[in-house]
Amino acid sequence: MNNRKIILTGLIPALLLVLVFTYYPFLRGIIMAFQEYKLFNLSNVHFIGIDNFKNAFQDPKFIMALQNSAYWVFCSLILQFLLGLTLALMLKRKFRGRGIYQGLVFYSWALSGFLIGMIWKWMFNSQIGVINDLLLRIGLIHQRIGFLSEQKWAMMSVIIANVWYGVAFFAIMLLAALQSVPSELYEAAEMDGAGGVRRLWNITLPYIKPTIISTLMLRAIWIFNDPSLIYGLTNGGPAGSTHILSSLMLEHIIYGGDYGAASAIGIIMIVILLLYTIFFLSVTKAEKAGEF
Amino acid sequence: MRLKKMKAITLLLSAVLTVGLIAGCGGKQASDKVTIRMIESLTSPKRTELIQAMLDKFQEDNPNIKVELISPPFDQADNKIRTMLGSKEEIDILEVRDLNVAEFVNNGYIEPLDAYTDKWSDFATVSAVSKSVGTVGGKMYFLPNGLYQRQMFYRADWFKEKGLNPPTTWEELYETAKKLTDPSKNRFGFSFRGGAGSNGTTDSMILAYNGDKVNLEDSMFTKDGATIYSTPEAKAAMELYLKLYKDASPPDSINWGFQEQVQAFTSGVTAILLQDPDVIQSLQEKMEEGTWATAPLQTGPTGKALFAAGGAGWGMSSKSKHKEEAWKLIEYLSSPEVNTKFSKDYGLIPLHTTATEDEFFKTGPYKTLIDMSDKPDTFVNYKPAFEYPGNGQWGQVAMETGQALLLNKATLDETLKKWDSYWVEQKANLKQ
Repeated sequence: MNNRKIILTGLIPALLLVLVFTYYPFLRGIIMAFQEYKLFNLSNVHFIGIDNFKNAFQDPKFIMALQNSAYWVFCSLILQFLLGLTLALMLKRKFRGRGIYQGLVFYSWALSGFLIGMIWKWMFNSQIGVINDLLLRIGLIHQRIGFLSEQKWAMMSVIIANVWYGVAFFAIMLLAALQSVPSELYEAAEMDGAGGVRRLWNITLPYIKPTIISTLMLRAIWIFNDPSLIYGLTNGGPAGSTHILSSLMLEHIIYGGDYGAASAIGIIMIVILLLYTIFFLSVTKAEKAGEF
Repeated sequence: MRLKKMKAITLLLSAVLTVGLIAGCGGKQASDKVTIRMIESLTSPKRTELIQAMLDKFQEDNPNIKVELISPPFDQADNKIRTMLGSKEEIDILEVRDLNVAEFVNNGYIEPLDAYTDKWSDFATVSAVSKSVGTVGGKMYFLPNGLYQRQMFYRADWFKEKGLNPPTTWEELYETAKKLTDPSKNRFGFSFRGGAGSNGTTDSMILAYNGDKVNLEDSMFTKDGATIYSTPEAKAAMELYLKLYKDASPPDSINWGFQEQVQAFTSGVTAILLQDPDVIQSLQEKMEEGTWATAPLQTGPTGKALFAAGGAGWGMSSKSKHKEEAWKLIEYLSSPEVNTKFSKDYGLIPLHTTATEDEFFKTGPYKTLIDMSDKPDTFVNYKPAFEYPGNGQWGQVAMETGQALLLNKATLDETLKKWDSYWVEQKANLKQ
């Protein structure tokens, strides 16, 4: 055996695992999207062309979830990024108890999305929730607000919970990048008389730009794909007004047992993400994006 | 040369290791004992402990049988069971639920138990309701380990304060709840549930209002074959439902599910709660004695209240290789002595009629349930529509359209029309 052969044989187990656990389910999902595949009636699985896709686009819930997804990803991402960057800049400076403080700030990232959904569900509760109680006590509101039950509040409330969840991620990643900025650059800039804003704009941001680009892209995909928070918080309610595509897909599986319809939504999501990634990378010029 | 040999050996070793790891994760072990694999669905830490204790006792009495209990988290349990059955994994006993028994039967996953119950001496005292819950198409597929049945819980102290009596009709329930509502004190008459499980309220109101018209064996339809949602009685019931939400319930409750509904009652926000007996223990823990009491379900205008007993229980996989041993365990778990103890410990209605003679069920919060079963003319038992494939999704459909109705995004007529056509379609699909 020559080296090449050994390497190739060595790769087989890994390749097999990837094939079985990644590509097979993926292909199966694509096939299911064109089938009537209902859990209740597995003896009658058959191809139905593009009916699952047609049904999806004719369903007002799907259209609403599509709009909500855009709103959900955009608002969550921007707020998470801005707050995360602020936090990272603040944590860059050394102060007493920084380690403990960092731990506290980053802790939300270690929780599961579903659990966070459950926690915020109780906090947002209008009769027994802590947020209403607090706002009433400080006199900011006089009437209890149904954060999750009134449509004008519901989407905003789930986004707030999601921002709380995701800020830590940006703070962690951006802080790591910030710490790699050479201090000589700042010293030189200071000598040239650059102020704080100027230094941020001309040194810090350009230097950590690759990290910003990759984290923004990754995080957008995660936010788009992750139904756990919405599932725990509102399960799409009231009246379907907080569904995003991934939570709607989950609903088709859990309550309808309809794997065909769910797979069709899954495929639509992949197409959207593909278009988004191509667009994002071409706009931000991919070669500058860092790896991690 | 040496190097090549080394490499070959390393390669071989790593291959063996990989295979070993994968096989090891399967966790199968050979022994001369018969191993029964059993999976539960309505998992909770306390319940698993009780079940494990029963299994330990069983294994002591039957040293040749080993029982392996699988307890997936409640949220994933039913999907896990489905997946295991679908992939023909070895499983002998599974907890079947009223809401998925038809699905399992349809897919040929579970074995009818009639051949075994025929030879079982204690089968005579199994209550008729329990038999009906576990039966699909005339065959019995599981023996319930306890039944859930709705009743009313109310704040006895608040009722006394205002000189109110527990309501016996839905109309009275609305009037009473309205009198107990004072939003400025954050106090509301009714623990409304508009989120997951909302059809528990809407369906029972509509059934009570339809009364004698309902076909008890096919309860989404009237005796004339129309859906229960198409009648003028359904409209009257839903008009009251809307008033109940607007005048006597917390506005936030449009999105509430089980937990919020119960929490609002135990924390002193709401006065009336309609729930199953499994909440009794948490009420006993969180509320002072004497502040709450139970009463029977409310009737419709014709004086009937329709109720369904629900439940889950032990069924046998059709692929099981140890059916005799599996039945032995099911028989043990379903025996009057073992089942009654479990029902008491976990707060359920027992499987056997003889258990109601027990002092425990004759007094306290369970008494109402026994009282209800003593008046079969008023409290009529119906069979839920579990044999329809669409029943699983019905809760979700009823919830979303119901929320749209409460938010004034749809009219009552539109909503009832949607519900009517949903069940007309279900009927048509079933006939095919």
